Amino acid sequence: MRKAFFALGLALLATAWAQQRLVVAQGTDPITLDAPLAQDSPSATVVTHISETLFELTPEGKIVPLLAEGHSFSDGGKTLTIRLKRGITFHDGTPFNAEAVRFNLERFVSRELASPFAFLLSELDRVEVVDTHTVRLRLKNPFAPILAHLTHSSTAIQSPTAIQRFGAQYRDNPVGTGPYRFQAWQKGQFVDLVRNENYWGEKPPIPQVRFIPVPEGTTRVALVETGQAHVAVRIPPQDIARLQANRAVEVVRTPSLRTIYIYFNTQRPPFNDARVRQAINHAVNKEEILQFVLGGIGRISDAPIAPGIFGYASIGKYEYNPQRAQELLRQAGVSTPLRVTLHCPTGRYFQDIQVCEAIQGQLRRVGVEATIQTLEWGAYLQETQRPLRENRIQMAMLGWGTVTGDADYGLYPLFHSSQWAPGFNRAFYKNPEVDKLLAQARISTLPQGRQQLYREAMARIWRDAPWVFLHSEVQVTAVRQEVQGFIVHPTERYLAYKARFR
Amino acid sequence: MLTYAIRRLLIAIPTLFGVVLLVFLMVRLAPGDPAVLLAGEFATPETLRAIRERYGLDRPLPEQFLLYLGALLRGDLGESARSRRPVLEELKTYFPNTVELAVAAILVALLTGIPLGILAALRPGSGLDLGVMTLALLGVSMPVFWFGLLAILIFSVNLGWFPVAGKGTLAHLVLPAVTLGVNATALLARMTRGTLLEVLSQDYIRTARAKGLRERVVVFKHALRNAMIPVVTVAGLEFGSLLAGAVITETIFAWPGLGQLLVGSILARDYPVVQGAVLLVATSFILVNLLVDLLYAWIDPRVRYD
Repeated sequence: MRKAFFALGLALLATAWAQQRLVVAQGTDPITLDAPLAQDSPSATVVTHISETLFELTPEGKIVPLLAEGHSFSDGGKTLTIRLKRGITFHDGTPFNAEAVRFNLERFVSRELASPFAFLLSELDRVEVVDTHTVRLRLKNPFAPILAHLTHSSTAIQSPTAIQRFGAQYRDNPVGTGPYRFQAWQKGQFVDLVRNENYWGEKPPIPQVRFIPVPEGTTRVALVETGQAHVAVRIPPQDIARLQANRAVEVVRTPSLRTIYIYFNTQRPPFNDARVRQAINHAVNKEEILQFVLGGIGRISDAPIAPGIFGYASIGKYEYNPQRAQELLRQAGVSTPLRVTLHCPTGRYFQDIQVCEAIQGQLRRVGVEATIQTLEWGAYLQETQRPLRENRIQMAMLGWGTVTGDADYGLYPLFHSSQWAPGFNRAFYKNPEVDKLLAQARISTLPQGRQQLYREAMARIWRDAPWVFLHSEVQVTAVRQEVQGFIVHPTERYLAYKARFR
Repeated sequence: MLTYAIRRLLIAIPTLFGVVLLVFLMVRLAPGDPAVLLAGEFATPETLRAIRERYGLDRPLPEQFLLYLGALLRGDLGESARSRRPVLEELKTYFPNTVELAVAAILVALLTGIPLGILAALRPGSGLDLGVMTLALLGVSMPVFWFGLLAILIFSVNLGWFPVAGKGTLAHLVLPAVTLGVNATALLARMTRGTLLEVLSQDYIRTARAKGLRERVVVFKHALRNAMIPVVTVAGLEFGSLLAGAVITETIFAWPGLGQLLVGSILARDYPVVQGAVLLVATSFILVNLLVDLLYAWIDPRVRYD
């Protein structure tokens, strides 16, 4: 009898102890925990728990001060003065102050670090320390999106002492100001974080978090089903139904800031005629694709950028209308069947090749014969990136994640005529009015003004149809019932600092 | 014997050089600009330039190769373009796990396949024999991917006997080892049955029986030892290929081995890691083959290499 109680006690103790740690199953192991170098979602996810940015992009799309206390623009928008919060220290005791901010921002744009995100602060001329808790950013040109760019996890402020002490090893020993501190990283197996007991803000309810890499989606699902993990990211579509029937697990859908589209080469026939591009938009049945190919996981685009991004507005709709499509093709003087090549990646985006195949079938009905050409991702990027003279692409599918949550980043690189490939305007789109609006929106620091400018720019882009506007992605995550408050962020990061066990 | 071993090792050197050259060329000739992949899809031309400079990607190919070779001879495998950690460190982290899994898998194969093969050979044509051979056929035909996922669903999710994935306790090793070892098990079962049947029909076995020895002694002391020779050889070669081919199993069970490192590195065009990993696998394979040949000579006194 006593043995039974003892065993029961142990079991309860074990469960209680187990409830001290949240286990999150991601697709891959983080590559680095050094914020400016953390490109992939798993790395950025872990970094966000440890190191914090000056400003935060909330899941609802608002920019709020985080390590900053307040800010002001001056000098026609060329100077940004940021007041920092007081009384904050890094996990190693180093004080968080203006000097630390300067150190980090200068390191961020430094050539030797070669951060893939250095472009986010390309307008930064220099950082000045005004006093212990005030920094001044001098910009080369007025740049309104700077605040949004400072919400990006790569701009997080890390401990200068630790960076200098660890040198190249810092990426394995991150030190920030965040709600969790780094404890251990067994490469390929797990990353362990523990609660920061001296956190300046609201302490997270759960004392420990473990991130494990599990490449196979079905295995991630199995881990959550058995309770060996509490959260599984990116659920494969075929496992969703089974999970929804399981009462121990909740399936959470969160919109992502990533938009999927097919762009046209707008400088070459046949797609140099806007009518042909609009025709294709009418020929594609997006509802059908959403329902049957995406299994309902996605949101049909009504703008070139997704909701949740500052500057987003619902612009329009290209309803499925094959007759209108054929009429437009006729008006443009196109003889059917029109033979084109559609480039498509495989396995890069959710159901990418399947969507292309569905579109191929839909285009056939209006007399457009599309041949699908697929390439491995590295080769695909290379092909799509070629400058106009060497570019052989007619139509290609791509995705764009507006990582800053600001419309400038979602529109300027893609639609401004100065950004033609090898930049990101691979459609070679050029509209002087759009150029002017986008440039103006960068400079204006008044939110309402900017929103209006983006609305006008997007209305023109929508009409010109340099893209087939498809859909924005939706993230599907599995979370165990006993976990409450876990956040799936539209920037594809998975946040545990407000989570608690019921 | 020793001279033979040394000769084999010396021959391995040009082989390895060929491997290094081949991998170097293949990875660089694959389409897709590595700088773009490493820098990420949002990178600007400046970042690309910085990355190219950092990894010497803008130098002519022969120069890149000589630089790599020079570093290699000094024991420097370079650093991972993704994580910026030394390649040697990455390999040291992941390779032992693959070895562990491969050893466990070959043990499963040896401890299951050989006894099954023996049982089948002792009762040829019986129901047992048919059963074992059918299982063996299934074992070589079953896709590892399917088998692994099925194992997880049945033994982890439904029955709860084993953990789903990852590395930790011995329990974590069971399902991946069995999954990886299924093919080898089937192969060894068939081989054992075949060679044992052949040996049992030999004259000296008939002599042993005529001498009045008990059947158990005949089989285990005389027949089996001779039958094991080719089986051991095959097992050794299988081990070598298990080392190289555990990618699918490692992916399904989130086993932190070389296969996972290699696939991720290839997709990201992380040249230094790919080159280092393939070189490691090739070296292991060559060494395992050499050991198997030496073992073979040691077991079978008739085999002479000199």
